Amino acid sequence: MSDPASVGRLAAHLALLSSISFGGVPTVLPDIHVYVVGNGWLSDRDFADFLAMSQAMPGPNMILMMSFIGWKVAGLSGAIASACATFAPPCAMYFLAYRLWDKFRDAPWQKIARAGLAPLTAGLVVAGGTVMARTADISWPAAAVSAVAAATLLFTRLNPLWVIGGAGLLGAFGIL
Amino acid sequence: MTQSTAPPPRVSLGVLFYEFLRVSLLASGGGIAWAHRIAVDRRQWLGDAEFADIVSVCQFMPGPNVIGIAVCLGARMRGLRGAIAATAGFVLIPGTAGFAIGMLWFHHTGVPLFRNVLAGISAAAAGMMIATGLRLLRPYRRRLPALLFASLAFAGIAIGQLPLLLVLLVLTPLSIAAAAIARQPAR
Repeated sequence: MSDPASVGRLAAHLALLSSISFGGVPTVLPDIHVYVVGNGWLSDRDFADFLAMSQAMPGPNMILMMSFIGWKVAGLSGAIASACATFAPPCAMYFLAYRLWDKFRDAPWQKIARAGLAPLTAGLVVAGGTVMARTADISWPAAAVSAVAAATLLFTRLNPLWVIGGAGLLGAFGIL
Repeated sequence: MTQSTAPPPRVSLGVLFYEFLRVSLLASGGGIAWAHRIAVDRRQWLGDAEFADIVSVCQFMPGPNVIGIAVCLGARMRGLRGAIAATAGFVLIPGTAGFAIGMLWFHHTGVPLFRNVLAGISAAAAGMMIATGLRLLRPYRRRLPALLFASLAFAGIAIGQLPLLLVLLVLTPLSIAAAAIARQPAR
Protein backbone atom coordinates (compact mmCIF):
# COMPACT_ATOMS: atom_id res chain seq x y z
CA MET A 1 0.00 0.00 0.00
CA SER A 2 2.92 2.35 0.46
CA ASP A 3 3.64 2.76 -3.22
CA PRO A 4 5.29 6.05 -4.21
CA ALA A 5 2.57 6.76 -6.76
CA SER A 6 -0.05 7.07 -4.00
CA VAL A 7 2.18 9.39 -2.00
CA GLY A 8 2.72 11.59 -5.04
CA ARG A 9 -0.97 11.77 -5.86
CA LEU A 10 -1.96 12.52 -2.28
CA ALA A 11 0.71 15.20 -1.87
CA ALA A 12 -0.21 16.84 -5.17
CA HIS A 13 -3.88 16.90 -4.21
CA LEU A 14 -3.14 18.36 -0.78
CA ALA A 15 -0.82 21.00 -2.26
CA LEU A 16 -3.54 22.06 -4.69
CA LEU A 17 -6.23 22.21 -2.01
CA SER A 18 -4.10 24.06 0.52
CA SER A 19 -3.42 26.66 -2.19
CA ILE A 20 -7.12 27.39 -2.56
CA SER A 21 -8.13 26.99 1.09
CA PHE A 22 -9.26 30.56 1.65
CA GLY A 23 -10.38 30.87 5.26
CA GLY A 24 -8.18 28.03 6.42
CA VAL A 25 -7.72 24.33 5.73
CA PRO A 26 -11.03 23.34 7.41
CA THR A 27 -12.84 24.90 4.43
CA VAL A 28 -11.43 22.23 2.09
CA LEU A 29 -11.73 19.38 4.58
CA PRO A 30 -14.93 17.97 2.97
CA ASP A 31 -13.12 17.68 -0.36
CA ILE A 32 -10.14 15.95 1.23
CA HIS A 33 -12.53 13.56 2.94
CA VAL A 34 -14.16 12.58 -0.35
CA TYR A 35 -10.77 12.20 -2.03
CA VAL A 36 -9.05 9.95 0.51
CA VAL A 37 -12.07 7.81 1.32
CA GLY A 38 -12.95 7.56 -2.38
CA ASN A 39 -9.45 6.25 -3.08
CA GLY A 40 -9.96 3.57 -0.47
CA TRP A 41 -7.05 4.85 1.63
CA LEU A 42 -9.11 5.63 4.73
CA SER A 43 -12.46 4.64 6.20
CA ASP A 44 -14.95 7.23 7.41
CA ARG A 45 -14.12 6.13 10.92
CA ASP A 46 -10.39 6.71 10.37
CA PHE A 47 -11.09 10.19 9.07
CA ALA A 48 -13.27 11.10 12.09
CA ASP A 49 -10.68 9.71 14.53
CA PHE A 50 -7.83 11.58 12.86
CA LEU A 51 -9.82 14.81 12.93
CA ALA A 52 -10.73 14.49 16.61
CA MET A 53 -7.14 13.67 17.50
CA SER A 54 -5.62 16.55 15.54
CA GLN A 55 -8.16 19.00 16.97
CA ALA A 56 -7.36 17.82 20.46
CA MET A 57 -3.64 18.45 20.11
CA PRO A 58 -1.94 21.81 20.52
CA GLY A 59 0.11 22.99 17.59
CA PRO A 60 -0.67 23.08 13.90
CA ASN A 61 -3.88 21.02 13.85
CA MET A 62 -4.50 20.72 10.14
CA ILE A 63 -0.90 19.87 9.30
CA LEU A 64 -1.14 17.13 11.89
CA MET A 65 -4.41 15.92 10.37
CA MET A 66 -2.79 15.61 6.95
CA SER A 67 0.25 13.84 8.38
CA PHE A 68 -2.06 11.23 9.94
CA ILE A 69 -3.71 10.71 6.58
CA GLY A 70 -0.32 10.47 4.85
CA TRP A 71 0.86 7.97 7.44
CA LYS A 72 -2.17 5.79 6.81
CA VAL A 73 -1.53 5.91 3.06
CA ALA A 74 2.21 5.30 3.03
CA GLY A 75 3.81 5.31 6.46
CA LEU A 76 6.32 7.90 7.59
CA SER A 77 7.30 9.15 4.13
CA GLY A 78 3.61 9.69 3.40
CA ALA A 79 3.21 11.62 6.65
CA ILE A 80 6.10 13.95 5.91
CA ALA A 81 5.10 14.50 2.28
CA SER A 82 1.51 15.31 3.28
CA ALA A 83 2.54 17.71 6.02
CA CYS A 84 4.86 19.60 3.67
CA ALA A 85 2.29 19.71 0.88
CA THR A 86 -0.19 21.24 3.30
CA PHE A 87 1.91 24.09 4.65
CA ALA A 88 4.63 24.90 2.11
CA PRO A 89 2.51 26.38 -0.72
CA PRO A 90 0.49 28.70 1.55
CA CYS A 91 3.69 29.76 3.37
CA ALA A 92 5.29 30.81 0.09
CA MET A 93 2.16 32.76 -0.80
CA TYR A 94 2.01 34.44 2.61
CA PHE A 95 5.61 35.51 2.27
CA LEU A 96 5.24 36.95 -1.24
CA ALA A 97 1.97 38.69 -0.37
CA TYR A 98 3.50 40.26 2.72
CA ARG A 99 6.57 41.43 0.82
CA LEU A 100 4.34 43.09 -1.77
CA TRP A 101 2.18 44.70 0.91
CA ASP A 102 5.23 45.87 2.86
CA LYS A 103 6.76 47.46 -0.24
CA PHE A 104 3.91 49.97 -0.44
CA ARG A 105 3.72 50.52 3.30
CA ASP A 106 3.76 54.32 3.07
CA ALA A 107 1.68 54.69 -0.09
CA PRO A 108 -1.45 56.80 0.52
CA TRP A 109 -3.72 54.14 -0.97
CA GLN A 110 -2.44 51.60 1.48
CA LYS A 111 -3.19 53.80 4.46
CA ILE A 112 -6.79 54.01 3.28
CA ALA A 113 -6.95 50.28 2.51
CA ARG A 114 -5.57 49.56 5.97
CA ALA A 115 -8.19 51.74 7.66
CA GLY A 116 -10.87 49.87 5.73
CA LEU A 117 -9.45 46.40 6.31
CA ALA A 118 -8.64 46.52 10.02
CA PRO A 119 -12.26 46.72 11.25
CA LEU A 120 -13.22 43.81 8.99
CA THR A 121 -10.35 41.76 10.36
CA ALA A 122 -11.37 42.54 13.94
CA GLY A 123 -14.95 41.52 13.18
CA LEU A 124 -13.78 38.28 11.56
CA VAL A 125 -11.58 37.35 14.53
CA VAL A 126 -14.49 37.90 16.92
CA ALA A 127 -16.66 35.80 14.60
CA GLY A 128 -14.05 33.03 14.56
CA GLY A 129 -14.05 33.00 18.37
CA THR A 130 -17.83 32.93 18.39
CA VAL A 131 -17.99 29.99 16.00
CA MET A 132 -15.46 28.16 18.19
CA ALA A 133 -17.47 29.00 21.28
CA ARG A 134 -20.60 27.62 19.66
CA THR A 135 -19.02 24.16 19.35
CA ALA A 136 -17.13 24.33 22.66
CA ASP A 137 -19.84 25.80 24.87
CA ILE A 138 -22.11 22.82 25.12
CA SER A 139 -23.20 23.75 28.66
CA TRP A 140 -23.64 27.03 30.46
CA PRO A 141 -20.60 26.51 32.71
CA ALA A 142 -18.56 26.15 29.52
CA ALA A 143 -20.05 29.39 28.21
CA ALA A 144 -19.11 31.03 31.52
CA VAL A 145 -15.53 29.80 31.04
CA SER A 146 -15.43 31.47 27.61
CA ALA A 147 -16.77 34.70 29.08
CA VAL A 148 -14.25 34.67 31.95
CA ALA A 149 -11.40 33.99 29.52
CA ALA A 150 -12.47 36.91 27.32
CA ALA A 151 -12.85 39.26 30.31
CA THR A 152 -9.45 38.22 31.69
CA LEU A 153 -7.72 39.07 28.45
CA LEU A 154 -9.56 42.37 28.03
CA PHE A 155 -9.53 43.80 31.54
CA THR A 156 -6.67 42.24 33.49
CA ARG A 157 -2.97 41.60 33.10
CA LEU A 158 -3.30 38.07 34.41
CA ASN A 159 -1.57 35.44 32.31
CA PRO A 160 -4.37 33.63 30.42
CA LEU A 161 -2.58 30.34 31.09
CA TRP A 162 -4.21 30.42 34.54
CA VAL A 163 -7.63 30.55 32.92
CA ILE A 164 -6.72 27.82 30.44
CA GLY A 165 -5.38 25.63 33.24
CA GLY A 166 -8.46 26.24 35.40
CA ALA A 167 -10.73 25.46 32.47
CA GLY A 168 -8.88 22.22 31.78
CA LEU A 169 -9.23 21.27 35.45
CA LEU A 170 -12.97 21.98 35.47
CA GLY A 171 -13.24 19.83 32.36
CA ALA A 172 -11.30 17.03 34.01
CA PHE A 173 -13.81 16.93 36.84
CA GLY A 174 -16.61 16.72 34.32
CA ILE A 175 -18.10 20.06 35.27
CA LEU A 176 -18.26 21.48 31.75
CA MET B 1 -5.01 56.12 11.77
CA THR B 2 -1.61 57.56 12.26
CA GLN B 3 0.79 54.69 12.47
CA SER B 4 4.47 54.70 13.02
CA THR B 5 6.36 52.81 10.38
CA ALA B 6 9.57 52.80 12.35
CA PRO B 7 11.73 49.75 11.72
CA PRO B 8 10.99 46.94 14.19
CA PRO B 9 13.31 46.20 17.10
CA ARG B 10 16.18 43.83 16.34
CA VAL B 11 15.26 40.27 17.23
CA SER B 12 17.34 37.12 16.95
CA LEU B 13 16.18 34.21 14.81
CA GLY B 14 16.31 31.97 17.88
CA VAL B 15 13.85 34.19 19.71
CA LEU B 16 11.47 34.11 16.74
CA PHE B 17 11.70 30.32 16.65
CA TYR B 18 11.14 30.08 20.40
CA GLU B 19 8.20 32.48 20.60
CA PHE B 20 6.34 30.84 17.72
CA LEU B 21 7.01 27.45 19.22
CA ARG B 22 5.22 28.82 22.30
CA VAL B 23 2.35 30.24 20.27
CA SER B 24 1.94 26.85 18.64
CA LEU B 25 1.99 24.88 21.90
CA LEU B 26 -0.23 27.29 23.83
CA ALA B 27 -2.88 27.68 21.20
CA SER B 28 -5.34 24.91 20.65
CA GLY B 29 -7.58 26.62 18.14
CA GLY B 30 -7.00 30.20 19.19
CA GLY B 31 -3.52 30.89 17.85
CA ILE B 32 -4.23 34.50 16.97
CA ALA B 33 -4.88 35.34 20.61
CA TRP B 34 -1.50 33.98 21.74
CA ALA B 35 0.40 35.46 18.81
CA HIS B 36 -1.07 38.84 19.75
CA ARG B 37 -0.26 38.45 23.42
CA ILE B 38 3.32 37.45 22.82
CA ALA B 39 4.21 39.76 19.91
CA VAL B 40 2.26 42.87 20.95
CA ASP B 41 1.80 42.74 24.73
CA ARG B 42 4.91 40.96 25.96
CA ARG B 43 7.66 41.49 23.40
CA GLN B 44 6.25 44.74 22.00
CA TRP B 45 7.57 43.95 18.55
CA LEU B 46 4.70 45.89 17.03
CA GLY B 47 1.47 47.71 17.92
CA ASP B 48 -2.19 46.71 17.67
CA ALA B 49 -2.62 48.47 14.33
CA GLU B 50 0.32 46.77 12.67
CA PHE B 51 -0.72 43.40 14.07
CA ALA B 52 -4.20 43.91 12.60
CA ASP B 53 -2.48 44.79 9.34
CA ILE B 54 -0.69 41.44 9.27
CA VAL B 55 -3.83 39.51 10.14
CA SER B 56 -5.60 41.34 7.29
CA VAL B 57 -3.00 40.20 4.77
CA CYS B 58 -3.30 36.62 6.06
CA GLN B 59 -7.08 36.72 5.92
CA PHE B 60 -6.93 37.10 2.15
CA MET B 61 -4.60 34.19 1.59
CA PRO B 62 -5.34 30.48 1.53
CA GLY B 63 -3.96 28.10 4.12
CA PRO B 64 -3.72 28.01 7.90
CA ASN B 65 -3.96 31.68 8.91
CA VAL B 66 -1.96 31.37 12.11
CA ILE B 67 1.03 30.06 10.16
CA GLY B 68 0.53 33.08 7.95
CA ILE B 69 0.99 35.27 11.01
CA ALA B 70 4.24 33.44 11.80
CA VAL B 71 5.45 33.93 8.21
CA CYS B 72 4.50 37.63 8.03
CA LEU B 73 5.71 38.54 11.51
CA GLY B 74 8.98 36.71 10.93
CA ALA B 75 9.34 38.51 7.59
CA ARG B 76 8.59 41.86 9.24
CA MET B 77 11.24 41.33 11.91
CA ARG B 78 14.01 39.61 9.96
CA GLY B 79 13.05 39.09 6.32
CA LEU B 80 13.09 35.66 4.69
CA ARG B 81 15.23 34.11 7.41
CA GLY B 82 12.88 35.44 10.07
CA ALA B 83 9.90 33.97 8.24
CA ILE B 84 11.59 30.57 8.09
CA ALA B 85 12.63 30.69 11.76
CA ALA B 86 9.13 31.62 12.96
CA THR B 87 7.44 29.02 10.76
CA ALA B 88 9.88 26.31 11.80
CA GLY B 89 9.24 27.19 15.44
CA PHE B 90 5.54 26.92 14.85
CA VAL B 91 5.57 23.64 12.92
CA LEU B 92 8.60 21.43 13.65
CA ILE B 93 8.54 20.44 17.31
CA PRO B 94 4.77 20.59 17.93
CA GLY B 95 4.14 18.73 14.66
CA THR B 96 6.61 15.96 15.47
CA ALA B 97 5.40 15.63 19.06
CA GLY B 98 1.75 15.67 18.01
CA PHE B 99 2.42 13.02 15.40
CA ALA B 100 4.18 10.78 17.91
CA ILE B 101 1.38 11.17 20.47
CA GLY B 102 -1.17 10.47 17.77
CA MET B 103 0.58 7.24 16.81
CA LEU B 104 0.59 6.12 20.43
CA TRP B 105 -3.04 7.11 20.77
CA PHE B 106 -4.23 5.18 17.75
CA HIS B 107 -2.58 2.05 19.07
CA HIS B 108 -4.47 2.34 22.32
CA THR B 109 -7.99 3.50 22.95
CA GLY B 110 -8.58 7.08 23.96
CA VAL B 111 -9.08 8.16 27.56
CA PRO B 112 -12.31 10.13 28.16
CA LEU B 113 -10.53 12.27 30.75
CA PHE B 114 -8.27 13.67 28.04
CA ARG B 115 -11.29 14.65 25.98
CA ASN B 116 -12.91 16.43 28.98
CA VAL B 117 -9.80 18.46 29.69
CA LEU B 118 -9.71 19.52 26.06
CA ALA B 119 -13.37 20.58 26.19
CA GLY B 120 -12.48 23.02 28.98
CA ILE B 121 -9.43 24.32 27.16
CA SER B 122 -11.26 24.98 23.93
CA ALA B 123 -14.00 26.90 25.78
CA ALA B 124 -11.33 29.19 27.24
CA ALA B 125 -9.57 29.49 23.89
CA ALA B 126 -12.80 30.63 22.24
CA GLY B 127 -13.18 33.41 24.80
CA MET B 128 -9.57 34.50 24.26
CA MET B 129 -10.09 34.74 20.53
CA ILE B 130 -13.18 36.95 20.97
CA ALA B 131 -11.22 39.23 23.29
CA THR B 132 -8.36 39.52 20.80
CA GLY B 133 -10.76 40.57 18.04
CA LEU B 134 -12.14 43.28 20.32
CA ARG B 135 -8.60 44.45 21.07
CA LEU B 136 -7.93 44.82 17.36
CA LEU B 137 -11.07 46.93 17.04
CA ARG B 138 -10.15 49.23 19.90
CA PRO B 139 -8.18 51.80 17.81
CA TYR B 140 -11.31 52.24 15.68
CA ARG B 141 -13.89 52.43 18.46
CA ARG B 142 -14.82 56.07 17.82
CA ARG B 143 -15.39 55.60 14.11
CA LEU B 144 -18.93 54.68 13.26
CA PRO B 145 -18.31 53.22 9.77
CA ALA B 146 -15.52 51.03 11.15
CA LEU B 147 -17.82 49.67 13.86
CA LEU B 148 -20.53 49.08 11.26
CA PHE B 149 -18.24 47.09 8.98
CA ALA B 150 -16.76 45.12 11.86
CA SER B 151 -20.32 44.18 12.88
CA LEU B 152 -21.23 43.20 9.32
CA ALA B 153 -18.15 40.99 8.98
CA PHE B 154 -18.95 39.40 12.33
CA ALA B 155 -22.61 38.83 11.41
CA GLY B 156 -21.79 37.40 7.98
CA ILE B 157 -19.65 34.64 9.48
CA ALA B 158 -21.05 34.06 12.95
CA ILE B 159 -24.76 34.53 12.23
CA GLY B 160 -25.18 34.17 8.47
CA GLN B 161 -22.57 31.37 8.24
CA LEU B 162 -21.53 32.68 4.84
CA PRO B 163 -18.25 31.61 3.20
CA LEU B 164 -15.30 33.80 4.24
CA LEU B 165 -14.32 34.59 0.66
CA LEU B 166 -17.81 35.91 -0.11
CA VAL B 167 -17.86 38.09 3.01
CA LEU B 168 -14.44 39.50 2.13
CA LEU B 169 -15.26 40.15 -1.52
CA VAL B 170 -18.45 42.06 -0.66
CA LEU B 171 -17.33 44.00 2.41
CA THR B 172 -13.72 44.88 1.52
CA PRO B 173 -14.47 47.37 -1.30
CA LEU B 174 -17.27 48.97 0.70
CA SER B 175 -15.22 49.30 3.87
CA ILE B 176 -12.24 50.74 1.99
CA ALA B 177 -14.53 53.18 0.16
CA ALA B 178 -15.96 54.30 3.50
CA ALA B 179 -12.43 54.79 4.87
CA ALA B 180 -11.48 56.81 1.77
CA ILE B 181 -14.52 59.10 2.13
CA ALA B 182 -13.91 59.56 5.86
CA ARG B 183 -10.37 60.65 5.05
CA GLN B 184 -11.36 63.31 2.52
CA PRO B 185 -12.45 66.19 4.83
CA ALA B 186 -9.41 65.76 7.02
CA ARG B 187 -7.12 66.65 4.16
